[in-house]
Amino acid sequence: MRLGRYTLTLEPRPTLSPLHAVLTAILAIFVALALSSVIFLRSELGALSAYRVIFSYAFANPNGLFTTVHRAIFLLFCTFAFLVPLRAGLWNIGLPGQVYAGALAAFAVPFALQAHEAPSPLLPPGLTVLAMVLAAAVAGAALAAFAGILWAKLHVNEILVTMMLNSILFWFVSYMIKEGGPYMGATAEGESFLLPDALRAPTVLGVPFTAMLAVGAAALLDLFFAKTTLGYKIRAFGLNPAASRYAGINPVTLPVLVFVLGGAFAGLAGYHNFAAIPGLYKISGNYGYYGDLAFYGIISGLIARGGAAAIPVVLLFAGLSLGARLVQGQLHLPFGVDYALLGLLMMTFVPFLILYRFRIALRLAPKALPQISADVPKA
Amino acid sequence: MKAGTGRVRRPVPAPAIHSPEGSSIPGEPILSARGITKRFPGVLALDRVDLDVRAGEIRAVLGQNGAGKTTLMNILFGLVQPDEGQLYLRGRQVHFRSPHDALTIGIGMVHQTRKLVAAHTVLENLVLGNPGARGFLNLARARREIGELCQRYGVVLELGARVWQLSEGEKQWVEILKALYRGARILILDEPTSVLTPPEVKTLLTGLKALVSDQGVTVLVVTHKLPIVMAVSHAVTVLRSGRVVASLRTDEATEQILVRHMIGKDVSLRLTKAPVEPGRLLLQVEDLSAFSDKGLRALRGVSFVLREGEIFGVAGVTGNGQEELAQVIAGLRPTAAGRILFDGHDMTLRSPLARWRLGIGYIPAERAEVASIAQFSLVENTGLNFHFDRAFSTQGFFDYARLEQLTERIVDTYDVKAPHLHVQAQNLSGGNLQKLILGRVLSRKPRLLIAHLPTQGLDVEATAFVRGTLMETCSQGAAVLLISEDLDEILALSDWIAPIYEGRFAAILSRGEADAETVGAMMAGLRSEEAGAP
Amino acid sequence: MLELLTRSFEASTILVLAALGELISQRAGVLNVGLEGLMLFGGTLAFITAQSTGSYILGVLAGLAVGGFLGLAHGFFSITLRGDQVVSGMGLWILSFGLTTYIGSPYTGPLGMERIQTPFGLSPFVYLAVILVAAAWLLVFRTGPGLAIRSSGENPSAAEVSGINVAAIRYLCVTFGGMLAGLSGATYTLSYNPVWNYNFLGGWGFTSLALVFFSMWNPWILLAGASMFAAMWQLSLSPELVLPGILSRYIWRTLPFVTTIVILSIISTPWFRTRWGLARPEALGRPYAKE
Repeated sequence: MRLGRYTLTLEPRPTLSPLHAVLTAILAIFVALALSSVIFLRSELGALSAYRVIFSYAFANPNGLFTTVHRAIFLLFCTFAFLVPLRAGLWNIGLPGQVYAGALAAFAVPFALQAHEAPSPLLPPGLTVLAMVLAAAVAGAALAAFAGILWAKLHVNEILVTMMLNSILFWFVSYMIKEGGPYMGATAEGESFLLPDALRAPTVLGVPFTAMLAVGAAALLDLFFAKTTLGYKIRAFGLNPAASRYAGINPVTLPVLVFVLGGAFAGLAGYHNFAAIPGLYKISGNYGYYGDLAFYGIISGLIARGGAAAIPVVLLFAGLSLGARLVQGQLHLPFGVDYALLGLLMMTFVPFLILYRFRIALRLAPKALPQISADVPKA
Repeated sequence: MKAGTGRVRRPVPAPAIHSPEGSSIPGEPILSARGITKRFPGVLALDRVDLDVRAGEIRAVLGQNGAGKTTLMNILFGLVQPDEGQLYLRGRQVHFRSPHDALTIGIGMVHQTRKLVAAHTVLENLVLGNPGARGFLNLARARREIGELCQRYGVVLELGARVWQLSEGEKQWVEILKALYRGARILILDEPTSVLTPPEVKTLLTGLKALVSDQGVTVLVVTHKLPIVMAVSHAVTVLRSGRVVASLRTDEATEQILVRHMIGKDVSLRLTKAPVEPGRLLLQVEDLSAFSDKGLRALRGVSFVLREGEIFGVAGVTGNGQEELAQVIAGLRPTAAGRILFDGHDMTLRSPLARWRLGIGYIPAERAEVASIAQFSLVENTGLNFHFDRAFSTQGFFDYARLEQLTERIVDTYDVKAPHLHVQAQNLSGGNLQKLILGRVLSRKPRLLIAHLPTQGLDVEATAFVRGTLMETCSQGAAVLLISEDLDEILALSDWIAPIYEGRFAAILSRGEADAETVGAMMAGLRSEEAGAP
Repeated sequence: MLELLTRSFEASTILVLAALGELISQRAGVLNVGLEGLMLFGGTLAFITAQSTGSYILGVLAGLAVGGFLGLAHGFFSITLRGDQVVSGMGLWILSFGLTTYIGSPYTGPLGMERIQTPFGLSPFVYLAVILVAAAWLLVFRTGPGLAIRSSGENPSAAEVSGINVAAIRYLCVTFGGMLAGLSGATYTLSYNPVWNYNFLGGWGFTSLALVFFSMWNPWILLAGASMFAAMWQLSLSPELVLPGILSRYIWRTLPFVTTIVILSIISTPWFRTRWGLARPEALGRPYAKE
């Protein structure tokens, strides 16, 4: 762009500092919040008050805080489910499908043991809960591994496959819980059976034990990528598959492995959401909403890029998406404020993600040179 | 000029006497550059370069890799814009925003790396970008016009063939023809001989001379090869580190003078491997075949043996199965037929990792794309060869501290110039990166080293260093499979020389049997003997 | 049965329009995995505009405009800034998914306008799609600009040194592709199923993207593939028309997705890859930097 005698250009930055990345992420979030305030301007309350309502409910109100934490745990699992394959350069956007798979598998354990109606003599409740957690992780991993294997063996586009699996699992859940499906609850229409008290995830201070899994995973994940050989191999593969193949890294097992790990996290998210959050303990009719919510994992994964760094991000997103639902009701806003927020975060973050590799430079323009003419003068 | 739809303009009368500058003979320059300066991040690529090219001459631009030749030519062609300086065509200042501008006023360029669309036909490539191809394509007319052009220049080309099916020599003629079809009167050729066989080089040079003498075209040839300069050019401009250090008539120059200008000092390029007492039989390759990425049989039944302490040199022009040979032995490409025995063990189905562990080291040609990870630090890049080494990991944890020590040792021993060990590999120059890779691979103490184009694109000093290191590796008992396009390199270093052509060894010659002419002819597929094992 | 057939044609129009735009964009070397997002946005704004103004024409124009705008934005990220095309595409999809859910929710429900007239029993969009397929084929394979587009996707630096402005070509193609995606969304909400619902596409866009890979980047094969897929979509939506009583309707709904995965896998096998995959633009998805 030309400004008087100066030109304004975008140039790539020679070095990228981590601090810069952090600042960019924070700035992007603030810009997204500023943009979202347009939504609230329509209400009589005003944007600032709307945000006050959102944050005070999400973080200061005891009920709200618990819900925020529960949702943050769900989002944290989803973030890791996206992040691990991403470090290997692969896009796992099959988070909803893997979440559903985890939930279905978790509920399959009491279903198979006939423990959803009466305590089963086959397995004590504690072990049943453990089996549910494992089943959820395995199911999520297996579903993701399917995409991983297709990619590793045939290079089938992983975005398409995971997306198709989302739709397949979405309808499959409907089949399982609605219109006489196997999991259909005794009383309710379009919902699964309710987990009996004994099979509900144990809680510590009102927070299910899955919180410890999630936070532990956050710390381990950073250690994993920074210090272990496997983490090194995943990073190498993500940056340059050809070079990592040259270096003897197996180009089939590694992509499958990252999908297995990612899928297991998503499966745990499914377990957590439907079998561990107090007050739900069933696959509800609006399970699709939680599937959509899982997409927040993509953006928080892109923003945080790491395990521990994801914790504040998911807390913020959980609080925002919850509080947004609340103000939506209070301010009589249309449905989907939390969806709009998701979109706006993506809208600001992607440009930031790409732009932060550039800097804006203002330089003295070179003197204008005469244009060439189409006719070549005769010598 | 009429932006001709394929019509080559009436030739301008060629000056009676070629009058290169440097001497006092006057002559009207057709294309001039004044004070051209170009900076890339951290590098001054060109420093106030002046150049005068006279109509109807062949001007050689000589310089080492990295001297700025290609950048200068890209500026003359409008592909790169100079930071400072002006260009003049017949005394009038011109400004190129893009190659389109240069093409419009009659400057064409043949690039070092082929700028052709491999999946398209020759005809489509020739028509691409032509001002006549605005609306519906009239391929029949283009075919007729190009046919006439081919006839005039004596070029034989199958216009319906896909470009990827052509030989390198044919591709080059497609590019030359494309420039002429666009009406180019000034033709820039960047390292035109680098991937050609000696006979193809001969054809090219004859063709270029004819273009100049019969058609009055002006030719700029960029090269680092002295024989080319001496054979065709009327005048030569020498670039060193982005500056013009000399401009003189070729008939007044000698190879020695030019070398001194080019390098800045007298450097002995002669390094010859001392003959060794061959050691144990290490590698046996039997009737090896492999497919290329396109599914074509690129390697067709290659057999040879390699003993400890020997260098086996595979000489050939890129694209004759060398890459497939290297990859098959390194385990990166499946074997279609035949087998590989290493130290008596059948390797044919073993993974790349297993081969690293057993002592097969590989230095691929693509050092920035395959042999290293641009965004990784030097330490992390060293890890590429050690992540599977038990000495470098404890219970799944990578011993980065130890890796750092090793990297430091490599950087010292192999004279890698880098600001520090945690700088990203993409900040290293090609030579320093290659030294790092070499040091990294050799730190594994491989018993067999596959080195593919190990000195391509390196400056003289780095080249000498790499070659010296390869010989030293052999003297310590390792065997080297050297794959190169550089005939001098092969002849100087190898104990055995195998010219490769279309996936087959034309022969396997001992050092005593091989001379440049024989090997050159075999590389071109002109002569072949029954390939016998040494 | 006849209804299934006409509905299939109308459904295939949605797939064809979106995939055709993507095909041209990919021929020029730009991959847009956010196709579904562009369709969602185009469909939603077309719906809202048509309902507010009572004009189908304005609705279609709104769809074209927003699709083109989002395509342009994708072009800016992937061409000018040379960012990762997958990041930008996924961003556009999630952005559209989120925003259209919010923007459209007050309009949830039927369009409430007189249906578009259907000459010879088919929606005018069907005829438009067939014409566009023919035009796209002519453009890509029979014209100079088409050669420039294909070259930009195969080997942009070769195109550049031939005097082609690769960036301009890519911008044009990605914007045009966006417009067609917007039109495709408008076709859905104005003609095929004029009822707005959140995330109404539910995967049509991703299926369109898969179709482009399947088509060998040839518009005619694309048309054939789209017809096949559309028939399956239609079947999955109303299986009772053909096979009443077999399997739950929910299981039927998974049919197009399962088929997409199966077909993608088949065309990715080595046997197919060396034949089918050769048409894949060499530089697809790779940012092009001059010099």
